[in-house]
Amino acid sequence: MSKRILVADDALFMRATLKAILTGNGFEVVGEATNGQEAVELYQSLKPDGVTMDITMPVMDGISAVAKIKEIDPNARIMMVSAMGQKDMVLQAIQAGARDFLIKPFQPDNVVEKVNNLIAA
Amino acid sequence: MKVQYVAPFAEAAINVCQMVLGTTPERGQLAARPQLFTSEQVNIVCGIVGNVEGLVLYGLSGSTALRIASAMVGQKMVIFDQLAASAIAELGNMISGNSASLLAQQGIKCDITPPTLIRGTKVKISTLDIPALVVPLKLGDLGSLEVNISLQERQHHNGLAA
Ligand SMILES: [Mg+2]
Repeated sequence: MSKRILVADDALFMRATLKAILTGNGFEVVGEATNGQEAVELYQSLKPDGVTMDITMPVMDGISAVAKIKEIDPNARIMMVSAMGQKDMVLQAIQAGARDFLIKPFQPDNVVEKVNNLIAA
Repeated sequence: MKVQYVAPFAEAAINVCQMVLGTTPERGQLAARPQLFTSEQVNIVCGIVGNVEGLVLYGLSGSTALRIASAMVGQKMVIFDQLAASAIAELGNMISGNSASLLAQQGIKCDITPPTLIRGTKVKISTLDIPALVVPLKLGDLGSLEVNISLQERQHHNGLAA
């Protein structure tokens, strides 16, 4: 059975790109969230195996969304996919409960490798 | 507006374009404008908040925007639809985000706000009198991209957005 992934990013282009990479590599993208608030709601209703989470989003940013999801499910497997890769940002994301961090722009192979690690751990 | 803020944006724009578009941009002559102003058809504006604050605007012609969106999406686009618009906006977001990382290496901490796409020429973006520095980039056959940087050191020490 393919692993179920929730993709959270405010950019339609980025959601479509990640979905194409993931579905092309045997994953199922079960939901797409356009902001952090939606990601929290979709996480609760879909119970995905893993989440890719943008940081810079309207309504609720990705780091706040990670913290909220981890309150609901301490075992949630979430990795950040963000254009901001400075140490501070990575640290904040890890402290909030993210397990990994991928900086945009990315190579498709890195997405597959990191999502595989995320759900295998 | 310190010239020191320009280098990270120019470097990030070059890196991101190389990776996303497979084109190495050629940097043109730096120019100054008294305010943030655009004469391009497609503009992406990102807010910068933190130790420095202000706006960065990426300006492109309509045809360049379509060519860049086509290159990003991987198929020829003939109308500037929602997907094309979001590709261009994300290009601006990636350049701004990578710039924030480079600024952090200089000890300047900042965060970026989600990009806003503004269509229409001769738009005065801000009423603030922060001068803008403009870095023109030539992207080969794709056209050119203008990076307008309008930043100042943080003025108020309250209400820093996350
Ligand atoms: Mg975003």
